[in-house]
Amino acid sequence: MTLSLAALGPALPELLLALSALALLMLGAFAGPKSTDTVNGLALAALFGALVLVLIGPAEATLFNGAFQVDAFGRFMKVLALIGAGGTLAMSVDWLKIEKQDRFEYPVLVLLSTLGMMVLISAGDLIALYMGLEMMSLALYVIAANNRDSVRSTEAGLKYFVLGALSSGMLLYGASLIYGFTGSVNFAQIAQAAREPSLGLIFGIVFTFAGLCFKVSAVPFHMWTPDVYEGAPAPVTAFFASAPKVAAMAVFVRFAMEALPNVAHQWQQIIVFVSIASMALGSFAAIGQRNFKRLMAYSSIGHMGFALVGLAAGTQQGVQGVLVYMAVYLVMTLGTFACILSMRRKDGMVESYDELAGLARTSPVKAFMLAVLMFSLAGIPPLAGFLAKYYVFLAAIEAGLYTLAVIGVLTSVVGAFYYLRIVKIMYFDEPAAAFEPMRSEPRVVLAISGTFTLLFFVYPAPLIAAAAAAARALF
Amino acid sequence: MSHGTLLLVALLLPFIGSLAAGFLPTHARNTAAILAGSVAVAGIGISVWLYTSLADGAPVQFWLSWLPMLGLDFTLRLDGLAWLFALLIFGIGALVVLYARYYMSREDPVPRFFSFLLAFMGSMVGIVLSGNLIQLVFFWELTSLFSFLLIGYWHHTASARDGARMALTVTGTGGLCLLVGVLLIGRIVGSYDIDQVLESRDLIIQSDLYVPALVLILLGAFTKSAQFPFHFWLPHAMTAPTPVSAYLHSATMVKAGIFLLMRLWPVMSGTDAWFYLVVPAGLVTLLLGAFIAIFQQDLKGLLAYSTISHLGLITLLLGLGSPLAAVAAIFHTLNHAIFKASLFMAAGIIDHETGTRDLRKLSGLYRYMPITATLAMVAAAAMAGVPLVNGFISKEMFFAEAVAEHTGSLLDDSLPYWATLAGVFSVTYSLRFILGVFFGPPPVNLPHRPHEPAHWMRFPIELLVLICLLIGIVPSLTVGPLLATAVKGLLDATPPYYSLALWHGFNLPLMMSLIAMAGGVVLYLGLRRYLESGIEGPPILRDFKGQRIFEKVLATLSWQWARAGEATLGTRRLQPQMRIVITLAVVAALAPFIANGAVGTGDMPGTPLPPGFALLWLVGGICALGAAYQAKYHRFAALVLVGGAGLVTCVTFAWLSAPDLAVTQLLVEIVTTVLLLLGLRWLPKRIENVYPSRPPLKVLLRRYIDLTIACALGGLMAFLAYCLMTRPLTQSVSRFFVERAYSEGGGTNIINVILVDFRGFDTMGEIVVLCLAGLTVFALLRRFRPAPESIEQPEQQRIQHAYDVATPDRSPGDTVADYMLIPRLIMHWLFPVIAVMAVYLFMRGHDLPGGGFAAGITLSIAFVVQYMASGTRWVEDHLRVLPLRWMGMGLLTSCATGMGSWWFGYPFLTSHFQYVELPYIGKVPAASALVFDLGVFALVVGATVLILIALAHQSLRSSRAAQASEGGE
Repeated sequence: MTLSLAALGPALPELLLALSALALLMLGAFAGPKSTDTVNGLALAALFGALVLVLIGPAEATLFNGAFQVDAFGRFMKVLALIGAGGTLAMSVDWLKIEKQDRFEYPVLVLLSTLGMMVLISAGDLIALYMGLEMMSLALYVIAANNRDSVRSTEAGLKYFVLGALSSGMLLYGASLIYGFTGSVNFAQIAQAAREPSLGLIFGIVFTFAGLCFKVSAVPFHMWTPDVYEGAPAPVTAFFASAPKVAAMAVFVRFAMEALPNVAHQWQQIIVFVSIASMALGSFAAIGQRNFKRLMAYSSIGHMGFALVGLAAGTQQGVQGVLVYMAVYLVMTLGTFACILSMRRKDGMVESYDELAGLARTSPVKAFMLAVLMFSLAGIPPLAGFLAKYYVFLAAIEAGLYTLAVIGVLTSVVGAFYYLRIVKIMYFDEPAAAFEPMRSEPRVVLAISGTFTLLFFVYPAPLIAAAAAAARALF
Repeated sequence: MSHGTLLLVALLLPFIGSLAAGFLPTHARNTAAILAGSVAVAGIGISVWLYTSLADGAPVQFWLSWLPMLGLDFTLRLDGLAWLFALLIFGIGALVVLYARYYMSREDPVPRFFSFLLAFMGSMVGIVLSGNLIQLVFFWELTSLFSFLLIGYWHHTASARDGARMALTVTGTGGLCLLVGVLLIGRIVGSYDIDQVLESRDLIIQSDLYVPALVLILLGAFTKSAQFPFHFWLPHAMTAPTPVSAYLHSATMVKAGIFLLMRLWPVMSGTDAWFYLVVPAGLVTLLLGAFIAIFQQDLKGLLAYSTISHLGLITLLLGLGSPLAAVAAIFHTLNHAIFKASLFMAAGIIDHETGTRDLRKLSGLYRYMPITATLAMVAAAAMAGVPLVNGFISKEMFFAEAVAEHTGSLLDDSLPYWATLAGVFSVTYSLRFILGVFFGPPPVNLPHRPHEPAHWMRFPIELLVLICLLIGIVPSLTVGPLLATAVKGLLDATPPYYSLALWHGFNLPLMMSLIAMAGGVVLYLGLRRYLESGIEGPPILRDFKGQRIFEKVLATLSWQWARAGEATLGTRRLQPQMRIVITLAVVAALAPFIANGAVGTGDMPGTPLPPGFALLWLVGGICALGAAYQAKYHRFAALVLVGGAGLVTCVTFAWLSAPDLAVTQLLVEIVTTVLLLLGLRWLPKRIENVYPSRPPLKVLLRRYIDLTIACALGGLMAFLAYCLMTRPLTQSVSRFFVERAYSEGGGTNIINVILVDFRGFDTMGEIVVLCLAGLTVFALLRRFRPAPESIEQPEQQRIQHAYDVATPDRSPGDTVADYMLIPRLIMHWLFPVIAVMAVYLFMRGHDLPGGGFAAGITLSIAFVVQYMASGTRWVEDHLRVLPLRWMGMGLLTSCATGMGSWWFGYPFLTSHFQYVELPYIGKVPAASALVFDLGVFALVVGATVLILIALAHQSLRSSRAAQASEGGE
């Protein structure tokens, strides 16, 4: 088999990211710390370039003997992942500079991790899946400990690494079992071979799903999430909460739908369990939190549970629900973290959301936007978060998973409690000292995110249609 | 305009008015009041206008298609009952607006107040006019919401916020229950339309879902109407401005629950479940409310508990289930709204003009405000049920029902006594209200000097008191027709016979009234001293604070349980997290296993197990276990044991006919062990004696659990591997290589051919990675500074050093040099031997176990040995190998070999091979891959030595650091 460069066309966004990461690493290494700004800017440009290339690139293609596939589904998720990575990187530049944590390695690692995500989203076989997953995760382990002088940050990185390595091991083990019992690593061929569920195959699925659950931080493999979210610097947490979740969810859906459609009733139970557990834990455990980042960790656990409701349905409509959910989740998360990143007083960052007290009086616009996001995260109509939940629950109901849907609705009611408490604190508590004015990047992100969330219901058609097209690609 | 459309107008007007008021400037007090007043008056007008159309008994309807696919229409429906409530809402509303105009201060944002008030009015009208149940629940929730906003109107005071929040939480939760209950009703009946529901009594009562639906609906009604045990929110809602208390919390909103009970009374009442749920709740509320009201020190608190008590009375009446009792309930609802609203307004005036509502401070106000006092006395008389005022008549009806209703149960039989007792209490607190506030000595230390209020502020009270008197004296002429209309709306065709008259002759109810009045006076006189002592709340009961329980429950739910849950279920420590992850994985994997029960081993037979091999593995297993055990206590021992396990692996490879793997494994084992040894030196020391004697049981238990988990997981893994290995491989690539290694790669060592030929590109990548790893270790350790506690020299070195210093003709380091003399010599001499060995491995690599990688590692071992024998300083002095150069050369060689094939027009890394005859040595393979392998060899040597140097150099650096720190001291 020979490969010409032209044949690599469909992988052009990935190539761009890989090459820019290497080039920027060289630039940073040789030009020293003063080049950080340049590296940041160029990394952003590379992410943007990759986004453009994804959008104008071919709609369908397969490379490397089916290990790498480009389709509408992958495209949708890649756009989300790139937006997530770009958005968080843009917001973090100033923050890291003020906190004196700006290093040129950070944007390079973000690029590498994003490259891993892209590979992961496009994975067509287990090898590519594992490669993408590790490329993404290894970079994430490092940036979790970006603030090297902080014990919490390094602890977060170490914990993430140890648990991540453990779960990667499980995934790998599961993957090798699947290979052993089906004789192939390629998703399509696994689907062919796995018509009859054998015990070994089920073991394989269980272990692989365990690994994937870890990456999307679904219960019971969520334990790392609160600690890492709390320990890592805020922009890193924002990154963790956005792009990697999208990528991991994408590969979860793709693997389940492309490789295991014929044994769906076997894994459906796992997903239903995981989904219920995540929604319940995300809702109840968040109630006791004071730290906004930790709260967002539980919130993201809960949201992954909601997204998995769509996957549990196992239908095209369900996948569409997952896609819409991830898109809306991404936007809401970015907006919320834009606020968290700007919780800064003269004497430094604060992370307890009690500090938001009376924000409605000190900065009404920001408070309003954050309130909109909180309402949306709680799933209150007619905001975007409600529509996202609506689609996944609808899919679950049409697939006959009534219990799952009912539990989902109930937990979202419980979850509303802590989101609304933040709104209450902002609007009804005695104002605390005002925060420093918001930087322009978070401000832009917050504005876009809040507006999108608020007005999504007016014209949701484009996103819904794109998600529908993407979902169709898997069936 | 049709009558139906008029209904819509009546519903929409308040909301439009609310919106308009919301846009008024902040201090437009008069405009907002006029706006609100005109809306209310228009509402009264519409109600009066529609009265005539109700005469024939058919309800007025308005219908609009809303959500047809869910079978929901927007329906408005006005029957007699709804009409009476609508009139009450608009009528009291108009008076409250007038009153509020004077009550609210100029500084308050009054338009906002009126905006909320109008919106509330609209929601309330929405409840009574709703033609389907879902719509009713919707407006029900709206009233909760606006009640929240109105209670929290003075949001700058904490008690207002707390009261508002509590009211919303309680009524909102109740609303949720109600919604579920209504959905159940919809499921039973198949429609939410009230007309249809009212026709389906049999269907509902016989349904299995009747009791759940009833309980849920009652929860909704009881929370809204402040029935025991949900009554506690109402007194706290009294922090609202007094017009709000008069309107929402006595006349209208709290009656919404009553209205709902009346609405569903025809279809749900009359069963045992209804009786035993509603009557006890009503009775307890009636008595408890009245009892607590006696002991209140806050004027509005007294009225609030009195309201609770009267609501309990109405609930009790509805619970009895007889039509006459229902008539009495409607009548008392109307009467209570009238007299309680006027009393609240009077209390508001007192508060407004004196600056306090505290009964302990107020007294003798009759002197200053005689008119208000007179009005309040009449209203209070109605509250106490004194003849000639309206309260008396409905109370008589209640007594009559309490006596009449007898089904034989204990609850039934005791009702007259309880009713009389409640009557006694109500007389007592009415007396306390009047005598305490208006009579007695002149007040001292009041915030304001009391005087009569503005006339228009008093006007609503005057009007209401007038109505009280009119109803009380000539009931059949005034309220008779209205009540008849309402009763027609509530009951089906034939209303029961009842007589509205002041004088029914000397009968049992009248006796009860007289007893109640006499008893009330006696009780008041008896309690007088206790009440004047100024203790807040009734004896015993004051310790049971609904609010405290409520807050406790909220805090428990929202913080403590959540915290406790996280503390028990979650953990921030890594070890338990890993334990959980692994346990879950085991459980998840075992679940299908247990479910299916079948063991999925394959069909292939196992090979027989030779005893020697078994022993070998036993040793390996013990080594591994020992390593795991020692990892915590003695890292050095653990490392040695790991080496042992590795060695067993090597032997296994050799045993199972994989000499190539065995060689590589052995060499890698040696190098990594040495590198790890070097690294171990810098790890922080273990804290000895954490537990002074022996570890506590908990710790031991934890360790054994860990051991069990590890064994379980390991066993599971091994078993799965066994299952896999006993299956035939579906397809394997090895056949491909076996067939072509010699024919196409020219080598009989398949592994080596794969490495340098078939998968040359992979190997290329791997050596680049190795190169990078070496560089990274070097780069990281270049900046490495050992932790202060590990700088210190090892004990052995210190002793030797001290001996050398102490002995005159020795210099430091001599002892080591002495006793390492023989080993050092041997090791020096070994260097060329090992080097030759490396060349040998390299050369034969193409056909026999060996190759560039193995050779590179072997040469590195030669260097490692020198380090061990002679120390870092000596090696670094004598090192002629520049690792970086070796690595660079290796990489370049490999690349160049690969690119060489371009020269001949082949793709990158295409290899060429042939055998050449060399003198003395014989036939050797001379593939181009050999050159590539040479690159691999050079790189491996370079990278390993680089890592070695980087690690070993630390010992020099740390001794320098130690000297520096000693010098510093």
